Amino acid sequence: MEIDQKYIRNFSIIAHIDHGKSTLADRILELTETISKREMKDQILDSMDLERERGITIKLNAVTLKYHAKDGHDYMFNLIDTPGHVDFSYEVSRSLAACEGCLLVVDATQGVEAQTLANVYLAVDNNLEIIPIINKVDLPSAMPELVKDEIEKRIGISCANACEVSAKTGQGVDEVLEMVVRDIPAPNGDYNAPLQALIFDSYYDSYRGVIILVRIKNGSVKVGDTIRLMAANHDYLVTEVGIRTPKELKKNELSAGEVGYIAAQIKDIKDVFPGETVTLATNPAKEALPGYKRMNPMVFCGLYPVDSKKYLDLKDALEKLSLNDASLTFEAETSQALGFGFRCGFLGLLHMDVVQERLEREYGLDLILTAPSVIYHVYLTKGEMIELDNPSKLPDLTTIREIQEPFVKASIMTPKEYVGPVMDLCQKKRGIYIDLEYFDDTRMIISYELPLSEIVYNFFDKLKSYTKGYASFDYEYSGYHAGNLSKMDILLNGEPIDALSTIVYRGNAYERGSIVVRKLKEIIPRQQFEVPVQAAINGKVIARADIKAVRKDVLAKCYGGDITRKRKLLEKQKEGKKRMKAIGSVEVPQEAFMTVLSIDDEE
Amino acid sequence: MIHLKMNKPSPKSLYIHIPFCAHICKYCDFTKLIYNEEFAKKYVDVLLYELDSYHIGKVDTIYVGGGTPTSLKDSDLKRILLALKPHLNDGGEFTVEANVENLDANKLDIFKECGVNRISIGVESTSDKMLQSINRHHTFKDAVSVVSLTKEKGFDNINVDLIYGLPGQSLEDLKTDLDNILSLDVPHISIYSLIVEKGSMFFNMGIKEQDENTSREFYELIVSKLREAGYERYEISNFAKNKRYSRHNLTYWKDEEYYGLGLGASGYLNKVRYKNTSSLKKYLAKEFIDTKEEVTPTSEMEDYLLTNLRLEKGFKKEDFKKRFGVDFEMKFKEVITSLNKNSLFSISKDSIMLSDEGLILLDFVLVKLYEYC
Repeated sequence: MEIDQKYIRNFSIIAHIDHGKSTLADRILELTETISKREMKDQILDSMDLERERGITIKLNAVTLKYHAKDGHDYMFNLIDTPGHVDFSYEVSRSLAACEGCLLVVDATQGVEAQTLANVYLAVDNNLEIIPIINKVDLPSAMPELVKDEIEKRIGISCANACEVSAKTGQGVDEVLEMVVRDIPAPNGDYNAPLQALIFDSYYDSYRGVIILVRIKNGSVKVGDTIRLMAANHDYLVTEVGIRTPKELKKNELSAGEVGYIAAQIKDIKDVFPGETVTLATNPAKEALPGYKRMNPMVFCGLYPVDSKKYLDLKDALEKLSLNDASLTFEAETSQALGFGFRCGFLGLLHMDVVQERLEREYGLDLILTAPSVIYHVYLTKGEMIELDNPSKLPDLTTIREIQEPFVKASIMTPKEYVGPVMDLCQKKRGIYIDLEYFDDTRMIISYELPLSEIVYNFFDKLKSYTKGYASFDYEYSGYHAGNLSKMDILLNGEPIDALSTIVYRGNAYERGSIVVRKLKEIIPRQQFEVPVQAAINGKVIARADIKAVRKDVLAKCYGGDITRKRKLLEKQKEGKKRMKAIGSVEVPQEAFMTVLSIDDEE
Repeated sequence: MIHLKMNKPSPKSLYIHIPFCAHICKYCDFTKLIYNEEFAKKYVDVLLYELDSYHIGKVDTIYVGGGTPTSLKDSDLKRILLALKPHLNDGGEFTVEANVENLDANKLDIFKECGVNRISIGVESTSDKMLQSINRHHTFKDAVSVVSLTKEKGFDNINVDLIYGLPGQSLEDLKTDLDNILSLDVPHISIYSLIVEKGSMFFNMGIKEQDENTSREFYELIVSKLREAGYERYEISNFAKNKRYSRHNLTYWKDEEYYGLGLGASGYLNKVRYKNTSSLKKYLAKEFIDTKEEVTPTSEMEDYLLTNLRLEKGFKKEDFKKRFGVDFEMKFKEVITSLNKNSLFSISKDSIMLSDEGLILLDFVLVKLYEYC
């Protein structure tokens, strides 16, 4: 049965990280009585434990709400949550494509940030109606008028109707709901047209196969229909359709304008990707909906199971994860040191971190990650170009004409008193200055072109400490430039460990080499024999540290009461060992492979 | 309260803790309190109540430790020892710990009268300067006369404790200490390296332990000198002449069960490890047990290895199999192979034990074994 689209509103919430997006979503859920207070966990849309623990949204999540508006009608709201971190802007664009409008949340104490701008542009690209929401107005340091002024001047959105709210206390949130009804356009799909549904997310259910989350643009779909995934050109029989409230609620049909889920016993994970269009086999649409611009991963690392018997489990887990994480890529690779594993591509470091944690928590895997790398373009003397995402695979030096590395254009917004330090940092990170401009009276936007490898390395942390956390940061890929680059190998006990090789800038290779060997010396537990750790470039050792042999390791005393305590001490060490990989005769802990990353080059 | 199951053999060892001390030594992290006559008297009352509540039959070893049991006044000490006496089997071992500064003829007479047959004396150092620096209120000369008085009173089973690795101690100092200790001619010597534990004054003062190389050098000197003098190192830190081992401590090192009574004491009954409260207030209110932990098959095996491998003779393959239902060499095949490249194990036809090198690296070995427990 056709649903009157007049009473449907599809919208997202976009915000800079920590501006209160998830809290606002929680209040909306409460006010629409979707969830009773009793069921209310903080940040209910952040369903992963990981999200709730870190207080960030990683995955988009959709929920259908019923709202009884002041005009006397009942409305169906589809709220699609979005992540706020720069790594996940791709996910944001996915949510936005399923909506007609969005709420732009800006913290009344912080104002517009780099990420706010990035997300707003995505919304504008998708032709969405944007409603500005000034959040945290209950705080004494709130400056709603200033912030509104900033939004108008800097983003060009009128704030005449901006809502002032406190998502924390609930103040003003009822007005937000009325604005959703009034200002966000209702969908205007054609119920009688052939089915066109946009897949914006999916997840795997062991009983029902892949569950796809869709926005029905035109037509309708019901149980018993045969659907076709247009790009994959595969047909499936629909076994269930419904909406998420956020509990799944089965329905007979999903029709134009609605957001919901479809189960169709889809077993082949590879068939489903976000941006794909679903239509009916019996009456297919002429063309697919415009999909998403595919986001290419920027950061790569090797992922290996600590226990090599778990290789297939890891493969399975990666396949399932990539199902609702379209930007995760993986490809089998082998390392002499670590055995069989995968070279995985991520949008950024946080993304990498999140994938690792999800694999470990949700799939119970113990993993070793190698140091992240970007994709280098290696030009050979013969004229050929290789795209290199694994430093250990760098061809012989004599065959290389030039190595190019990817650069990004970074926009850093900072209070003006930190302009000096930020520029200083960008110079240190081999940045190329582009521009410096006033954003408002107190803040400036600094633009630099920076090597992506430096961003991966520790740019975020440095930026935070250089500006006491006041700067915000956004970047976009800008192109490749040649650099004075070399491969740095790390040798343990005289043996090069492929998984520890990195591409470094020659200008600071010595420094980095000596820090890495020193760090490894701290991390790798002592063995019964002395283990030299060396860093080498082109076979020439540039730094060395020796891990001394263990000479005495025994508890002096052990009486009755001591036993449990001593056992616990040993158990802790045992836990640490679980994540170790024996490389030759040396046991190397997982974190060692990340040391090249975590080191501070200004020690 | 932990009750014994009817069909289980009851523990053969009993530990009693006396938390009071005249002074606090700087390295000590045991449950201890400065002596106070009023509290000490109340403490003994409650201790006797706790003893009653266990319905202990006869045991083979009793050990009264501390703190400083000899810090109690004679009448309180006697009340405890008399209450314990009937619980000792014929031929049993009855040890009391004593501090040089308050062990006198009267106390030794009480010990005799109550059936105590082994005295453990805290000598700790033979350098008066060092003794002073760790807040011990006696000299080595005092120690010499206390040991000879103990012998005169008819006790021949005597242990003395020594600490090495005290701040500022040189290898020469250690040699002197060892010569002095050997001159006491006692059948048992316990020598511990200084451990700076949380809760000790040394810890709060930021004192550091010896580095590994020095500690190893000291330890090797101790073992060789004492062996030369006819002592057997039967446990990592314990040396005995003529097999006069500490039978009580062997209970711990063989991972057998025992009763533990008194403030902060630990016990092991019916596969449950328990620890008494360390709060005197709670103890006096008869809230004895603070924590209980049932051993699991894994933790039991870990504890077994942690304790038994401290013994130079290790454990019998047969005993391990009987207790855990698996063959040690089968279960730990991989570790044994990898460790034996460096000869850390010394496995005989009947027993599993560590080599000299293995003992010195026991924790290193244990962590590897634990992966397979």
